[in-house]
Amino acid sequence: MYTITQLREKLNKREISVVEVLEIYLKNIKEKDPQIQSFITVTEDTARENAEAAQKIIDSGESKPLTGIPIAIKDNICTKDILTTCSSKMLGNFVPTYDATVTKLLKEQNAVIIGKTSMDEFAMGGSNQTSAFKKTKNPRDLERVPGGSSGGSAAAVAGDLVPCSLGSDTGGSIRQPASFCGVTGLKPTYGRVSRFGLVAFASSLDQIGPLANNPYDCGLVLNAIAGFDRHDGTSSKTPITDYTAECGKSLRGLKIALPQEFFDGADKAVVDAILATAENFKSQGAEIVNVTMPSLKYAVAAYYLISSAEAASNLSRYDGIKYGYRSENGETYGELVKNTRSEGFGVEVKRRILLGNYALSSGYYDAYYGKACALKQKIREEYYDIFQKSDVILTPTAPTVAYKCNENISDPVKMYLADICTVTANIAGLPAISTTCGYQGNLPIGASVVGKPWEESRIISVANGINC
Amino acid sequence: MDINTINYLANLGKLSFTPEEAEQMAADMTGIIQIMDGVKEIDISYDYLKDNHNVYLPDLRIDTRYDSFTREKIVSNAVNDNGYFVVPKVVE
Repeated sequence: MYTITQLREKLNKREISVVEVLEIYLKNIKEKDPQIQSFITVTEDTARENAEAAQKIIDSGESKPLTGIPIAIKDNICTKDILTTCSSKMLGNFVPTYDATVTKLLKEQNAVIIGKTSMDEFAMGGSNQTSAFKKTKNPRDLERVPGGSSGGSAAAVAGDLVPCSLGSDTGGSIRQPASFCGVTGLKPTYGRVSRFGLVAFASSLDQIGPLANNPYDCGLVLNAIAGFDRHDGTSSKTPITDYTAECGKSLRGLKIALPQEFFDGADKAVVDAILATAENFKSQGAEIVNVTMPSLKYAVAAYYLISSAEAASNLSRYDGIKYGYRSENGETYGELVKNTRSEGFGVEVKRRILLGNYALSSGYYDAYYGKACALKQKIREEYYDIFQKSDVILTPTAPTVAYKCNENISDPVKMYLADICTVTANIAGLPAISTTCGYQGNLPIGASVVGKPWEESRIISVANGINC
Repeated sequence: MDINTINYLANLGKLSFTPEEAEQMAADMTGIIQIMDGVKEIDISYDYLKDNHNVYLPDLRIDTRYDSFTREKIVSNAVNDNGYFVVPKVVE
């Protein structure tokens, strides 16, 4: 299993060619992906062409950090002329006419896009089992889920099918699958990475981020995709930096907060692993600060009310007229649209649309959506208070390790409650990274490091100090 | 949540359910709403003045014409005919 750093060195020293690197991963995909089911589309031919182009760049001495590096992209990120399905029948035949900004930025570095990865339908889920096409399995244990909704992206890295991938995170969808699969995944500060070309789920929460084998590699990918984009009205002009620059920096004097509520309800093995990580940091000279976040108990409800309300609006564009699936039944325009949406969307998507419309409907707006917005402010304030006493926050990424494929999936309430550890970072717009800090048997346990806005370098550095 | 509410919300979302689907959805949504009802426990209200600080209004682009996609590309993902989106008749 190669890291990006190792591949970069080998490629720059001409120990291996880009085409040879690509063929290694294509072979791995052919051998292992029939079991893992992480890819919806593998772009073998164009990847080979791009590999040859990347080799010319390396030979000219002008390679960039990701030149020639194979990367997979979650299937809700637009890739021009490559099928982009969001793992939904609704977009089962959709081929974008443009690249997402992150896709364009990867191409500018001559990264080699190897394919599009499976996900929960329209990014709604935490198991990758709501995909209409490929229900991805966890490479650590093929009877268990990889997590979601970026389960395909996480499984592809964990299964050594790619050295890195892009995912998206609205309520934990990069970090939780990273935890379940034993890789590293980072959700940037809201506005750090352009959402242009990301199929919208909840526009005030969505962020694209990297998954890789370690925090440093995540930093390399973030360097490539971060920055202001005038096509995204929520994109930030806050200056970008080298997100790997603080790796290796001493943790001496760093204040790390442990909010107690994140540990309530978590499995003992998870709690023990996080506390052992805290002790490890302490032995490196960091100071552990015990804090509380009283609003955490409302966080899941607030998240689902806000995200579903936005999703109900965002998904109203799918009517089968200008793109996407169109039903063959429907005498009138109204019937056609209803049939298209009823046949094109899966059950979980429909639940979220109903919940979103309920939260926004007359008579319920203030009690649900209005209250959720107020909770968003309260959670942000509580994070602000915690950051007055600390530099970063350490929590479990998920209350459990990866569960079996047939567990939970039929119980939406259980699935939603499992997001307790991740949703507040999205609600508050904060950067957060998950990396492996321990194991329960052979199943990875993820620790999350949450930082202040725009401090991705710091959280990458802290996560890099977790030796596991 | 009862079936009538499910059907009302489905109509808002331009969805339709069979009676069996509606019944299952009502059961699912009842459990989900019980979780959502947790937000009613806390007595806080949204402060409009606290949000929308430092909102960056992106620069407008220079008002010049530039090429967009071809008609062929624009309709390529749709049911189309000679460069037009094909839809059921709306007005008799």
